[in-house]
Amino acid sequence: MSGDDRVVVDGVSKRYGGEDAVQALDGVEFGVDDGEFVCVVGPSGCGKTTLFRIIGGLESATAGEVRLSGTPVTEPSPDLGIVFQEYHLFPWRRVRENVAFGLEQQDVGAEAREERVDAMLDLVGLGDAADSYPTALSGGMKQRVGIARALAVDPEILLMDEPFGSVDAQTRSMLHEELLSIWRETGKTVLFVTHDVDEAVTLADRIVVMGADPGHVREIVDVGLDRPRDRTDEAFAEQVAYVRGLISE
Amino acid sequence: MSTSLEPDFGTEFGGDLDRRRLLLGAGGVLGFLLVWAVAARFNPPYVLPSPGAVAAVFLAELRSGAMAAALLASVTHWLPGTVVGTALGIALGVTMAYSDLADDLATPIVRVLRPVPPLALIGFAIAWIGLNHTGAAFIIAAGAFWINYYAAYGGVDGVPDEFLDVAKSLGVDTDLGLIRNVVLPAALPEIITGIRTGIGRCWMLIIAAELMGVPGVGRELYTASQNLSVDAVLAYILLMSLVYLVLDTGVGAVQNRVLAWQ
Repeated sequence: MSGDDRVVVDGVSKRYGGEDAVQALDGVEFGVDDGEFVCVVGPSGCGKTTLFRIIGGLESATAGEVRLSGTPVTEPSPDLGIVFQEYHLFPWRRVRENVAFGLEQQDVGAEAREERVDAMLDLVGLGDAADSYPTALSGGMKQRVGIARALAVDPEILLMDEPFGSVDAQTRSMLHEELLSIWRETGKTVLFVTHDVDEAVTLADRIVVMGADPGHVREIVDVGLDRPRDRTDEAFAEQVAYVRGLISE
Repeated sequence: MSTSLEPDFGTEFGGDLDRRRLLLGAGGVLGFLLVWAVAARFNPPYVLPSPGAVAAVFLAELRSGAMAAALLASVTHWLPGTVVGTALGIALGVTMAYSDLADDLATPIVRVLRPVPPLALIGFAIAWIGLNHTGAAFIIAAGAFWINYYAAYGGVDGVPDEFLDVAKSLGVDTDLGLIRNVVLPAALPEIITGIRTGIGRCWMLIIAAELMGVPGVGRELYTASQNLSVDAVLAYILLMSLVYLVLDTGVGAVQNRVLAWQ
């Protein structure tokens, strides 16, 4: 693996339970370069979410380890911003206060904090909703807050678990464009878990295709299409078909 | 909750509906007073005094300062008892629901102590503390304690783990930080409901607490019953209800304010 790997997943295995033990992951191995956009796809039950939780430090691996910029992950850290499928915004905090949460933990001064929050809300186009409570927002808006909240503390890596799985198709393709432009603007490394092959081919530089029982890496696909990508393009359709083929093998 | 036979027109007609309910409510009260007044005509005053007689006693007790004195005496043990019991109940509930270790350690004791009614503690209150405000406050605190313990436990138990995951990923790395930043605000609706229920329940408990001879509204009620002055009994019951109404409305307003995000 090259020296500028931002994320290294090094032989990660996960086994659950005692007697009726289930092997969720078996020797998962791949790397993510600095500034790269990598998607992890696979059928349900391939351990994508387990892998996501291990990379995020929310769960520990039974064997192997995950390293961020060379440091093994043992617990969640602000170097890695997590975006969840179900948003998990804090309902008792206004949008602005949700985005400010991580900054409050770092004792950033009030003025600098407000500035940063405003910049993040601008980035995701939510300036007008700053003083709303999350219950008043649509799914797409909630996830924009989720992204702004994760980015506010300026993590090196953005780790996303099916972040657009709960929004309608139209909102989803809008969010794809927004995420790509945020990615270009901030230069973050993005690791994006999804079961949607179209989504992965739309977004990723490389796609880690996983197989199930137990979860393992089948192949790492270089997407190699220029951006912006056109879903009606033949090359796009070929890539999608290729990845689908890998999954259903 | 609508018990009327008319369909509920929702908030659009809220103003009209409120006025209608107010009128009907006033009608209900009037009807009740009327039935009471008629019944009082056929009974001697030591069995059922008329509404007017009760109102007269109420005003007399109010003017003489007896009511204010009793109220002040009751508040002297009700307030500290409620505050201490509430705080301790929330503290234990939060600790046990958050920490598996605390839960495993304390659950058997909680299971045994929980069914003991606060009234059964009167013996302890007398033996340990004595027939005074502190003894009464002890009983009231016991009442507040369990209500708030259960409310806080349930609230904290229901906080989604994902909120904790989010907080950890944003740099919260201590238990105290998680409790302060996530667990307490997330469980606040249940905790406040517990506080509200506890405040009302403890106000009713003063009757029991004052059974052992501590002065207060409850004591006045006993004295009046022993003298067979049903009018005074009713006047003090009315006082208790009015105080409860004011308390509950006040706490309800605070609740709505604090939980505006809901």
